[in-house]
Amino acid sequence: MSFDVPDPSDALLERDESMLVLDELLTRVRSTSVGQLVLVRGEAGVGKTALIRRFCEAQRDRVRILWGGCQPVRTPRPLGPLIDIAEATGGELEQLVGLAATPHAVATQLLRELRSRGPSVLVLEDLHWADEATLDVLIVLAARIDSAPALVLASYRDDELDRAEQLRLVLGDLVSRPRRLKVESLSETAVVELAQSYGVDGHELHRRTAGNPFFVSEVLAAGGAEIPETVRDAVLARAARLPGRARRLLDVAAVVPGQIDMWLLEALAGELVDELEECLASGMLSARATHVAFRHELARLAIEEAIAPNRRIVLQRRALGVLVDRGGEDPDLARLAYHAEAAGDVQSVLRWAPLAGEHAASSGAHREAAAQYARAVRFADGLSLQGRAELLQRRADECYTTDQFAAAIEAQEAALDLQRSLGSTLGEGDALRSLSRLLRFVGRTSDAQAAAVEAVGMLERLPPGHELAIAYGNLSHLCMNREDAGGARAWGTRALELAERLDDDEALVYALTNIGVVDFLAGAAEGTVELERALTLAQRHGFEEHAGRSFVSLVLWPLRHRMFAVADRYLVAGLEYCSERGLDTWRLYLIACRARLELDLGRWSEAADSASLVLRDPRSAPVPRGWALAVLGLVRARRGDPGASDPLDAARTLVQSTGELQCIAPVAAARAEAAWLRGEDAIVDEETESALELALHRRSAWVVSELAYWRWRAGMSDAHLPGVAATPYGLSLTGEWARAAELWTQIGCPYEAALALADGDDQPALRQAIDDLHGLGARPAAAIVARRLRERGVRGLPRGPRPQTRHNPAGLTARELEVLACLTEGLRNAQIAQRLVVSEKTVDHHVSAVLRKLDVRSRGEAGAAALRLGLTQHAGEPEAKRSLGFEPSLENESRRQRA
Amino acid sequence: MSRYVVQRTFPEGLQIPVADGGAELCRGVVERNAEDGVTWICSFVSEDRTRTFCVYDAPTPEAIRRTAARNELPVDEITRVSVLDPYFYA
Repeated sequence: MSFDVPDPSDALLERDESMLVLDELLTRVRSTSVGQLVLVRGEAGVGKTALIRRFCEAQRDRVRILWGGCQPVRTPRPLGPLIDIAEATGGELEQLVGLAATPHAVATQLLRELRSRGPSVLVLEDLHWADEATLDVLIVLAARIDSAPALVLASYRDDELDRAEQLRLVLGDLVSRPRRLKVESLSETAVVELAQSYGVDGHELHRRTAGNPFFVSEVLAAGGAEIPETVRDAVLARAARLPGRARRLLDVAAVVPGQIDMWLLEALAGELVDELEECLASGMLSARATHVAFRHELARLAIEEAIAPNRRIVLQRRALGVLVDRGGEDPDLARLAYHAEAAGDVQSVLRWAPLAGEHAASSGAHREAAAQYARAVRFADGLSLQGRAELLQRRADECYTTDQFAAAIEAQEAALDLQRSLGSTLGEGDALRSLSRLLRFVGRTSDAQAAAVEAVGMLERLPPGHELAIAYGNLSHLCMNREDAGGARAWGTRALELAERLDDDEALVYALTNIGVVDFLAGAAEGTVELERALTLAQRHGFEEHAGRSFVSLVLWPLRHRMFAVADRYLVAGLEYCSERGLDTWRLYLIACRARLELDLGRWSEAADSASLVLRDPRSAPVPRGWALAVLGLVRARRGDPGASDPLDAARTLVQSTGELQCIAPVAAARAEAAWLRGEDAIVDEETESALELALHRRSAWVVSELAYWRWRAGMSDAHLPGVAATPYGLSLTGEWARAAELWTQIGCPYEAALALADGDDQPALRQAIDDLHGLGARPAAAIVARRLRERGVRGLPRGPRPQTRHNPAGLTARELEVLACLTEGLRNAQIAQRLVVSEKTVDHHVSAVLRKLDVRSRGEAGAAALRLGLTQHAGEPEAKRSLGFEPSLENESRRQRA
Repeated sequence: MSRYVVQRTFPEGLQIPVADGGAELCRGVVERNAEDGVTWICSFVSEDRTRTFCVYDAPTPEAIRRTAARNELPVDEITRVSVLDPYFYA
């Protein structure tokens, strides 16, 4: 059954250019079999769908079209658009989607499906409404689309990104650079042309509608000389022209968001369904093979909002009844929960919302799960205390997983109150333990400790069980975060013993992670082995939350010891793991760690990008937020850019109350460095004093030496500090600047190496330091070193990058240009060393600098970049294509594409 | 949104064709800036064309650097500024 009826607005004006772009992209996909993601954006009603539909219709005979749309409800069904697509493809993808598989598995199968056939156009429509699992599929798809012959068109409203927070974050973090296509409003000329045959003042129409095609077409279709004030008025005016019965059918259809299956409309409308022809002819509804839909969601909303409240509830109840009766083996739980709430049917909300929550959580759509539980809680007043407590607990857990801590604590405290009223010692003890964990995350460390102790006290009154083992683990965790090794081991051992006695794998993994961290920090010979064991166990048993935390531990603590290869390895694997499973909290921690890693490696632009990603979500947890603020502040301070103190001040406020060295130290060190760069040596003492004391207390050689280093730079001399000599900072403190610089270079920290060199007592070292600092864009530090040289009577120092570096946009030094020329010839380091008569280590240093300045990851790319920028005359394809830096990985691979 | 002055140095002198090419060049810059929410207000060019002082509205200094890299423009120094109007008190 198809009722496609032409509509005045079906004429697509001013879209030729966009169609041409899409045509070209598809042609390229077809000829190369390399896929492409296109983000099609524009305001509501601007005609994104119309454009994509027209394009698909024109291509229908040549390629396969797969279409998946997101539903306009607040908590949509997980993987909604993928379910549409799977229905069309059938086969394994359909089976997989039916099984509530992880987004990663779905995306992988989708890619396989796309590869198995000729070229396809894959449409993901209205992503501003997408659930979390669908966005996770998009992330994987974006990263690997070049392996499948498909043009992926992903559309979203860019005027609603404030509300579609998850989409905004995902778009900001897409690893490959997608093509962007903005669908613009109509020009005045176009509106005037359209209005002409309707006798409407086109100029006034353009002014009123701002050229929004949907608004324009509604006004024109409504007829009449008056131009309505709003889209809503225009829609209602147009609908008012329908005869009474047809107008009532419109109301019936409006209570179902998105597409309405024909069987559903027939069941809902009864005899009114006869009026469908009328509604289609008027253009208010449009029909496809098995369903009808409003021409636009804006129209449906306008109609739905205009229905009298009591009638709306009657219609919603009817919709719910029809959907429940229809049943089926795989009902759309999110849809049932939506209609249950819209119908104000308490029992049905309590029946469907928790089920929808469970289903969403199992698909990795934890945000939707949290929202479904919130929905159930709103209707839970009549439920038993136990029932309410359970719902609140699930809500708290899902909010915790998705980095919504304020909401998590609110739900957790309510659950705790209910457990108290119930008089359940077990329930109260366990809720207290959960609350303790949440409080620690928002920096309320002492409240967290009190709750943790109380929880253990309560649970110890009962026969020992899982809850007690976890509560011991929680105390161990709190000690570990304070870097209280003794406490963490003591409580961890208790947890471990009980876990083994109970054969409780979760408690075991939890305790192992805590002990693993303190052992690592104490310099245990086995390094990260314990932590790796905990991670493997967590993954084997499917304890996703614990696995996420293990990944963070394997990145965060090695980073403090400047073990970048280890950190990089687990960062890449951890980000993939957490993204796939919707573990937003740990994902955010990892991105904050990535910012620090990039900063330390001298990749400041990337560091600032990663930090901004963490900061963009205003609700993000204080700990990663503090780290990200410190990184952003440092990038600005080191570049001499304005606005460095804003993030550094915010960071200090955030971490002050935590009492945790892991939060306090990076902020104190960043503030000290920024003060030194500003020439305010006098405040460095104050900035670092308490952090240094804490670090000494915790025996953290790296933190002690870093803080002592900035104090020394600011002219202070601390008494001998234990353990410091082992780090390159310590070498600087004892005057061994050359060894310090060498060590930093080996580790991979160019900025620290240059600063170490700047302590040199010979002019060449200082001049090299200035060059390297300019190369990094570290203007203020370069100026400080230059001043030092001038004080020694040296004249004629460059005030900026040396003139010869300005001839090339990448700012390479003369020596680096020579090395680059060798690279384009395909020479290996040993050969380059021979030719330039320098050591291989020096060549390695220069190669790293060249790659960093050209923002490329491999020697091959450096050659290509050199040719593009006209930096060398030596052509020829280099033979060596060794990736420099750390293990090659998907992340690095895609970062390169982004660059 | 803050206002910034960006100092740039062009050792070989800034070359912008006066004809169509120049308009296209500027339009390209403006479009690439828009992706990061950066608005180029205007620029002052030294007589020898080796230095420019460019006025921008931008969300962050990082956005200015990102667009500069995309437009292959050098950045010497970024300063956050506010307007002082000599006739404000008149």
